[in-house]
Parts: sequence; C-alpha cells; structure tokens
Amino acid sequence: MAGFNSLGDYAGSVVAGDSHYSSFRKTPSQVTTAGIWFDLSLSPGNPNPQYYAASPLVAQQMKKSTDGGFNHGPDVSPSYKYANRFLILSNSATGLPMPFILCDYLLYYPFVDTGTNDEQLMTNSVTLPRWVDGKGVQMMAVSVAPNSGTLPTFTVSYTNSDGVAGRTSQTQQMNAAIANGSILTSSVGSAISSGPFIGLQSGDTGVRSVESVKFPATTDVGLFALVLVKPLLTSALLEQTAPVEVVGLSNQSQLPRIYDDAFLGLIALPRGSLSGVGFYGEIETVWN
Amino acid sequence: MAGFSSYDDFIQKTTEQGKTYRQDWNKNMLPTTAAVAGEWSFLARGAGNPGADALFNTGTNLTFVPVTDSTTNASSIQTGGAVSPDYKYIANGSAFSAAVTTQPSILMLVDLVGYYRVTSTTTITSQAMTNTLAAFSTFTADASTDICTHSNINLLPYTRCQLTTTTTLPGGLSLATDYYIIKVTDTTIQFATSYANAVAGTAVNITDAGTGTHTINTLYPRYTSGAGLKAFMWANNATPLGAATPSLSFPAYTNSEQATGRATPTVLPVGKTAAANGLVLYSGTGAGKYGPFMPFQAPDSGIAKVDNVQISVSYVSGEFSIGICKPLISMPMTTIGVASEREFFSQIPGGLPRIYDGAALYWMIYHGAATPVNSAFFGHLDFAWG
Repeated sequence: MAGFNSLGDYAGSVVAGDSHYSSFRKTPSQVTTAGIWFDLSLSPGNPNPQYYAASPLVAQQMKKSTDGGFNHGPDVSPSYKYANRFLILSNSATGLPMPFILCDYLLYYPFVDTGTNDEQLMTNSVTLPRWVDGKGVQMMAVSVAPNSGTLPTFTVSYTNSDGVAGRTSQTQQMNAAIANGSILTSSVGSAISSGPFIGLQSGDTGVRSVESVKFPATTDVGLFALVLVKPLLTSALLEQTAPVEVVGLSNQSQLPRIYDDAFLGLIALPRGSLSGVGFYGEIETVWN
Repeated sequence: MAGFSSYDDFIQKTTEQGKTYRQDWNKNMLPTTAAVAGEWSFLARGAGNPGADALFNTGTNLTFVPVTDSTTNASSIQTGGAVSPDYKYIANGSAFSAAVTTQPSILMLVDLVGYYRVTSTTTITSQAMTNTLAAFSTFTADASTDICTHSNINLLPYTRCQLTTTTTLPGGLSLATDYYIIKVTDTTIQFATSYANAVAGTAVNITDAGTGTHTINTLYPRYTSGAGLKAFMWANNATPLGAATPSLSFPAYTNSEQATGRATPTVLPVGKTAAANGLVLYSGTGAGKYGPFMPFQAPDSGIAKVDNVQISVSYVSGEFSIGICKPLISMPMTTIGVASEREFFSQIPGGLPRIYDGAALYWMIYHGAATPVNSAFFGHLDFAWG
C-alpha cells in the first residue's frame, strides 16, 4: 500500500533511494515591504520565475512540467510522495526574521483589474489539478501590476470545498505595497486585512473554484492574480547565521503530501526589502 | 481502537490513510482599542481568516447558546470536519506576529462550547441564567443489559442529561429527570440516577426498550460533563462597556462533578471600566485582576453550567458575554517574525490535544506588551486522526 506503515518503512524508503534531493536559489529583484507577504515564485533564480501571464480571468492550472517551481523529483504514482526535509538560508540579514510557507500552487486567475466596479466573472474551463476537493485550499491575491495605494476593498465569490457555490469571502482591503509579487491582503494595520490568504465565509474549510471578484466602492489602478494554493509547510528563517531546516516527521509530526507534477513555491513575510537578497535552499522528498 | 497505538500507527494513519488536515489561520487584534500589557483578549471579533464573528453579541440575555464549527456567523478556525469514530488531535502548530509592536505575547487556543450573552449590565442583583438542554444523540435501549447505544462519541462520563422521546421512553427511565452517564464504550452507556451512582457504576434497571425515537439531551455539545472547562467574560461588541469597575462573580454555578451552589471565591474579579471589544473584563494587573479565566471555588476544576451571574455595580451601558471553553494549547511568542512552533508528539508532555467533532476553535491572547489595534497574527494547525 502507498505511504508508510511504520517508522522503519519510512527509513527503508530513504535507504532504498526512493527519495529526491534538489536545491534552489531565489534572489528577489522586487523592493518588498516589511510586514507584507510576498510571493517568491515571481523572483529570479533557479527555478525561473513565473508571472501569472495568461488570458485574463481564465483559470489556469499550475504544474511543474509546464510552469516550473521547485524540483521535487519524478512522478511516483501509484506511490505517495512527501516533503521529507526543507532547508533555507539567506546571504543577508536584511528582511529577517522571515516566516515562510511552502505551498503547492494549484491554479490561478490572471489579471484581476482593481480599476473597475464591474463584477469580474471568472472562466472555469479547468478544475483544481491536485487537492481536487479544495479542502484546505486557500486564495491569495498577488500583485502583478502595481496599484497606487488608494486601498480599495473587494470580495470574492467562490465555491467551497463542499461544492457549495456562491460563498462570499470576507471583505478584503488592499494594502499599499506596490512591488509585483506582494500579497495584497496582508497589511498589518488594516482593520480588514487577512494575512496571506483571503478570509473565507464562516464555516468554510477551503476553496474549489472562484466565480467572481467585485470591488464595490473605491477602485485603484493595477492588476492582481488570484492564486489558489495548498499550504504545506510553515517555518521561519531567523537570522543570516542560522539556516532553518525542517524535517517533517521529526520536527512537525507531519509529512506533507506532494502530488505528481505539483508546482511548489514559497511565500514569505519579510521585515524589509528583499531586493538583491539571495536565498539558497534544499528540498528532499521521499516516497513509497 | 480509535487514537494511535504507537508511533508506527501514527505514521501509517497519516501517510497511508491520509488522515491529516492542515488549517492556516490569520487573526487580527480587535479593531477598536489597543490592549494594555498584562491584559487578555478574545480574538473572535478580530478580522482575518477566518473573519470576525457576528455571533457573540446575538441571542437572548442570560441564555446559554451552544457553539460548533458550523454555527452560523461563528467564524471559528476549522479543523477539517467530523472524523467519528476516529479521534482527532492537534499534531503540530505555529504562531507568529506580523505586527509592529506586540511582543512578547501568548496565544491560547480554546474550544468554545458555548456562551451566555449578558445585556442586563445595569442590574446589580444576582441574575439567573437559562440553561436549556439540547438534543445530543438518539439512543436505543437493551433491557437485558441496561445498556443504551447512541451515536455521538463526544459524550463524556458523568454528564448530566435528560431524556425525551417521540413515543414512550424505555421502562425505568423518565422524562424531565436528570440522569448521569456511565460510559461503557464510545457509543454505549448506562444511566444513573445521581452523579455518585454514576461514579459507583450503579445503573438504572431498564425493563423494556420503549417505543419511538429516544434522545439524550445535554447542555454542552462537547466536554459534556464540564470536565476541564473554564469560564471567561469578555466585551462582545464594538461599543465598549460603560464607565464602572464592578466586581464580577458567579454567585452560583455547577461544577463538573455536578455539584450545584458553587460560587466565585473572594477576592472577586474586578471588571475594567469602559472595557473595549474583545477584552477579558477582569484581566490585567493589580488588585482584583485575573486572567484569563474566572476563578473557581476550591477545588473545582471544571464548570457544568453557570447558574447565576452578578455585577456588583451598574456597568451603566454595554454588554458582555460569558464563554465556556476548553483550553487546548498555548503558543508563547517572543519576537516579531519568530515562529512559536509546537510539535505535540514529543515537545509537550501529556500528549496530543484532542479535538472533538464540531470543535469551535478560537484564539485568546495574553498581551505581554501594549498591542495596537488590528495587529496581525498568523500561523497554522496540523490535525491528525486515527
């Protein structure tokens, strides 16, 4: 049976070579803002950045084979693959301490316009490629063309992980961060910010698809991508002299599942600008 | 058997069987007034993911309202749904501050089983609460063994309950009568006529199965006996309470051993004047300050219901709520951006915190430093079950 039935089984997979190691490097060019979450998948390095560029408002699946992201090894189905070890360090003290979340990027809706009061309807010609029921799947609004800082509010209409359509997110206020890659709902001082992920309607555990986005009052300039992600692993890089290393099973009693062809990337919460700061990291996966 | 029998069993259930769920959360400090160092706040009304509740300043005055993860407008942190007959636990979690100036602080995760809304804050006499039992589970009875079978594994031993039926209760059992649970298994019980009899295992003799559908009714949806439950009072509304510093007490409550007539001991907690949204009224530093929970009469360790509440002098205006909750985990945070991380298998003696079906999870916060309005906190919880 796929997965591990014991600690010995898990160790056996490592010994047998059913694992994969890869490294990554990210050096953001963007001038990020302290306290504003940032999507490192748009930053230069290895793997290459991606820019959420596709037909406006049309759902696009994200896959390692077509879009990139961290290399987590081959497809292993019918085995199950897990994130076994994750390491990251910084070549600069700037921006630290910096919490981060490793995510499986599932799907995005390109180019949501912040400059209109019209309801912007999404086209859902594809569905979530992994985590297909949407349980635990979150939405994040990633800036892809800068806003001017007028701080408009918006709501998202979505289908939740139980398949119920017409659910309405918490009213979200955009922050003033203008760098591409900034997550627009994470202002630390707003009465209605929600951190990296958009607040869902009471009782909802995740998002399966998005119907529309609506700016009911004030508008701005700029565009964002509405990205559906499955958060996998959380930790924090504390200082330049201390890489952080997370071994899933022993450090967090969890082995986050990595599906075949998953697009893996990081979002992070810097304490200042990350422009020119280099991050090096490693990811090891294991499967059985 | 439910739960985990070994580390290998945990690994098997969380990988082979995929019995895990991760919930990311973000919660902001309340939006009206900054908190003072030494105070506690209940963060339900703060914005974020989940959003602000729109529940706790609704309902009938002095009346208990049960809360679950699916209660409308409760906006609790989700746990991934019911897993019965499995047991669900918190396996791992993290908490951070993204605020400007908030550290150190301690986040405490609680399962809120229900609340009483108190709008009669100008009444200074003892006020009686309404504690109406609600349907908990249907059951069937076996007259040959005196054992009854139900379907809700949240039922704890020694819980006080009453029974209803669509037709006729099993012989030996009566309507409008308090019974106490003798737990046999997660889904089988016997009834006793007193708490002492329940502890002694002296069951009611059931003479027939009755007819119709029978229902067990309890006050709480989880932690049904009140074991380990705590009570706290908080300002539930954007409008602060009026200018007064009343002593706050339960002149009568029932403890988790189902003893009535228990009372808040002296020195009574003293409420803060003009207490703002989310503030635990009597928290802080100085005389008459406690936190975060109301003190119990010795040696009580849990509360089965609040029977009376008293405010010693008029609060002039405003309202508050009394929450009944089970504290689950504490996450001490030292520095902005530095993770408070807890892996509960090995880091915390005592094992994995249990999450019952329907759990309504919320954060309370101890302010080790002044905390500006809307200060942001975030993190995640990993659940595992088996």
